[in-house]
Amino acid sequence: MATELRPNYDRFAHVPQSAKPVACGCTPEAHSRYCIRNVSRGANLKATMVRTADLAQRERHASCMGRIASDQSREAFAELFEFFAPRLKSYMQRLGANESEAEELAQDVMITVWRKAEMYDSRQASVSTWIFRVARNRRIDAQRRTSRPELEPDEPMLQPAAAEQPDMAVARGQMEEKVRAEMANLPEEQLVLLQAAFYDGLSHSEIAEVYGIPLGTVKSRIRLAFARMRGGLDGPN
Amino acid sequence: MTDPASQYSELYAAYAAGTLDPGYALLVETQGALREDVRRSLAVSEAAAGMLLEAEEAAPMAKGALDRVFAAIDAGAGKTPQRAAAERPEIDELEGLPEPVVKLARDAYARGGWKRPARGISRLNLDTGSNAQVELYRIQPGATVPRHTHGAQEYTLVLAGGYSDAMGSYGPGDLALKGPDDTHVPVGDEGEVCYALIIHGGLRLTGAMGVVQRLLGL
Repeated sequence: MATELRPNYDRFAHVPQSAKPVACGCTPEAHSRYCIRNVSRGANLKATMVRTADLAQRERHASCMGRIASDQSREAFAELFEFFAPRLKSYMQRLGANESEAEELAQDVMITVWRKAEMYDSRQASVSTWIFRVARNRRIDAQRRTSRPELEPDEPMLQPAAAEQPDMAVARGQMEEKVRAEMANLPEEQLVLLQAAFYDGLSHSEIAEVYGIPLGTVKSRIRLAFARMRGGLDGPN
Repeated sequence: MTDPASQYSELYAAYAAGTLDPGYALLVETQGALREDVRRSLAVSEAAAGMLLEAEEAAPMAKGALDRVFAAIDAGAGKTPQRAAAERPEIDELEGLPEPVVKLARDAYARGGWKRPARGISRLNLDTGSNAQVELYRIQPGATVPRHTHGAQEYTLVLAGGYSDAMGSYGPGDLALKGPDDTHVPVGDEGEVCYALIIHGGLRLTGAMGVVQRLLGL
């Protein structure tokens, strides 16, 4: 494991710049905190996942969203802000935003959370999944506006999925439970790869290069982990 | 039939993380609007990403950030602008398409309307911000798309109705791929008008956009 996960920066040289969410000429601080090519940043991921799977925190966040929607509770918003804004800022920096851009994007996302709080349905998704979607769309929007100022922020592609039937919403909620339970149980080496794929957005071959693992191993580990999260319906192939 | 969910996980991952080219993201999202299995895979991807956001190391916010956010909220920042109400009646048919496609189709229609490359065949160029060419085709039952080859890989997602060519028949939610050397003569199936989303060109071979090609075994 230890040798297998050694970073291998040089092999990234031929990857087009645009495919690199973070250029690794980063400062030591940025490298330790955000760099997708810092493989050791996953060292505590397993422990963090077990903590994150905790239901109490999830329910607390959902109740905050409810209070924002029903009472415009600033207290509830402040609690969500304290938890999510610094993490959103990290997420934006990881994807290549500089400090002040990341700060602004994190604030923007939180403003959207306030504005759209009544659209949140706790049966369909946890607050973190919902906020992640808002953040992801906000970032795509920011990138496009740089080159394409005429695009509107409410373009359909950037919107969260439309409201679903109640029974579908329940199924979604169960799906999310399953994903969280499986994530907490995954071995560290699968978790690290999932993070690279689903969160950093690297392709399998990029992951293979960064982590110095054969492409086939990357594919089979991610496929296995993904199948488990989906509910174990898929075989290993 | 093989469940595409696990073998397509790379595509859904790139979509969930927001690194997929906008044209191909539209393809994935539209397929999700048509198929429960794809929708479920996207939801699983996003749930995983949400959990990873919770696990993210916190970066301290600037002093007074929360106060600034409250001030922006009080000032009415971030309100969604009201959409112009008047829709053109002649594009009603577009409103029945899968949700991710509707506004893009409406805009394309407003920019110049349908092009008619052949009898019974109409086309709109969608502006997704992609490097790829993204087109919406409307194929009337029995209408024939003229014999053509493809300069690059071409992906066809059927949105409604169906069409057939020498390789087989395709219905809503089906994704077909043609390579640069393939020649084909698609014909609209009898019954419903066929709508299809077609994407070609603009693919890079590395990074998230190369995903589609690898997924489809090229």
